[in-house]
Amino acid sequence: MKILVPIKLTYDVSQLKFDTSTNTPLLDACPKVIGDADKCALEEAIRLKEKYSAEVAAVTIGDTQEHYRIIKDAYAMGATAGYVIKISNSEELSVNIVAELLASLYQKTGPYDLIILGSGSSDTHSSFLGALLSAKLGLPIITGVDKLTVEDDKVQGVSTMEDGTYTFNGEPPLIITVTSEANEPRIPTLRDILRSKRMPINEFSSEDLGVEISKIEITDVKRYVVERKRIKFEADDEEKMKEAVEKLIESLKKEGVI
Amino acid sequence: MKILCYGEDISWFKQFLTAVDKIHGEAAAVTTKPDIAEEVSKYYEKVYVADVGIFNPEVYGKFVAKVADEVNPDVFIAPCTNKGRVVTGMYSGLKGTACVSDVMDLGVEGDTLVVTRLVYGGTAKATIKVKPPVSICISPGAFKEGERTVSGQVVNVDFKVESKVKVEFKPKEVTGNEPDKADVVVVAGRGVRNKEDLNMIMELANVLHGAWSVTRPLAADYGWTDTWIGISGLVITPKLYIGVGVSGQPHHIIGARGSKVIVAINKDPEAPIFEEADYGIVGDLYKVLPLLIKRLKGEA
Repeated sequence: MKILVPIKLTYDVSQLKFDTSTNTPLLDACPKVIGDADKCALEEAIRLKEKYSAEVAAVTIGDTQEHYRIIKDAYAMGATAGYVIKISNSEELSVNIVAELLASLYQKTGPYDLIILGSGSSDTHSSFLGALLSAKLGLPIITGVDKLTVEDDKVQGVSTMEDGTYTFNGEPPLIITVTSEANEPRIPTLRDILRSKRMPINEFSSEDLGVEISKIEITDVKRYVVERKRIKFEADDEEKMKEAVEKLIESLKKEGVI
Repeated sequence: MKILCYGEDISWFKQFLTAVDKIHGEAAAVTTKPDIAEEVSKYYEKVYVADVGIFNPEVYGKFVAKVADEVNPDVFIAPCTNKGRVVTGMYSGLKGTACVSDVMDLGVEGDTLVVTRLVYGGTAKATIKVKPPVSICISPGAFKEGERTVSGQVVNVDFKVESKVKVEFKPKEVTGNEPDKADVVVVAGRGVRNKEDLNMIMELANVLHGAWSVTRPLAADYGWTDTWIGISGLVITPKLYIGVGVSGQPHHIIGARGSKVIVAINKDPEAPIFEEADYGIVGDLYKVLPLLIKRLKGEA
């Protein structure tokens, strides 16, 4: 069994700060990580490696040290191959180009039995990538999987959506997108981390993959501020608490929402 | 511009009308729900419909792509829901269009679409210029429901495609608690210490004839309930949101930002939710909530 796991280097948005005067994001100061769902995708693939001695290839797109670092992280978790598609300012690539690059890598280094990926990245969270790959490669797809079971060539994914629970049954070749609820990704041991440092990273350029690069035209990025009244009632003793509750009810009646 | 709108409920089709107006478009509709097609045709000149079975990304994607062969849209519009995103991704891949999710606003400059979308986990908005053909997923609550009266035509599409993926569906239990439809939603956060304490949250919701929900840790980590409010859960747009013991992490707040009025009850005066709230009570929820419930019931 051969499994491809695309991973994305994303901003840890819980630590993202904004310039207070211009409202622009301070991206340079924001730590970057493998997204939660991507990590769960890796974990699922590595569990299959342990069960079926599958090959697990991790791939990311970008050319910074951190991109190489997350491929080493994937090796430390248990990946058996690592690829970096070297493209500068890769965060400006459209998801369509990302899909083309990955589809081409799939052809060049594959084919694979499974592509497992996170259902959405923590920064843009469009959830488009898996579906785009499915359309481009002509492979069936199951999406938003919270619970994945693979028994030989039977793949079952359970997915919770707005209106209920979907159980998808398929077989390889298949694309699977998993959510951050799918599992608890392992934490590599020191030995795994040391071992990962010696593992090779194979590089591809966009020319190698025959994909013409275009970037998204972004004209403006600003903090999303919703104007709120920000009225606070203190309620640290009983008297104040009564007062606060009265004032709150009065205000909500005035707003016409209760 | 020619537009094709995909949806599975009437409220979304009404929200699309507002989006369509913003780009001065002419829109057709496509749905997989035969029971709403007639209703949708009160708003759209043409409604393409086929019952293509239980949701399967491949089947739904191919169905809308087939309808697009007829309509030839410059812009494809879908809801930013789990299914809407996947259908849009499939559609874009099949038709080779650009695609943008989490869209909050739309405009046109010449032959270019100017799209405002949420980025960085919903903490920021980015403005993007993109040339059609393009597919977009609209954020819940980003556009008000529009009005329009036409007497459109329902077009039954003959569509059949085999998928290697088989799907079973178990509908969500009908509990009457529907945070994504209610006018008032009370949300419990990590300040709520025990599962039993959710009774208080439910009681407040009850008194206000609203629904209740939780933040992600209470559902995903503690397993107290199945769904939560946030970017990976439900996105709600009630008239009134009351966060109880909710700190206000970005991934949660994005799911509640469309609320008209936000109330926060939290004992930490520095909790980020107070920045996002219209009214806040800084105090112990275990004392504030019983008092608030009692007062709303008219008992005190």
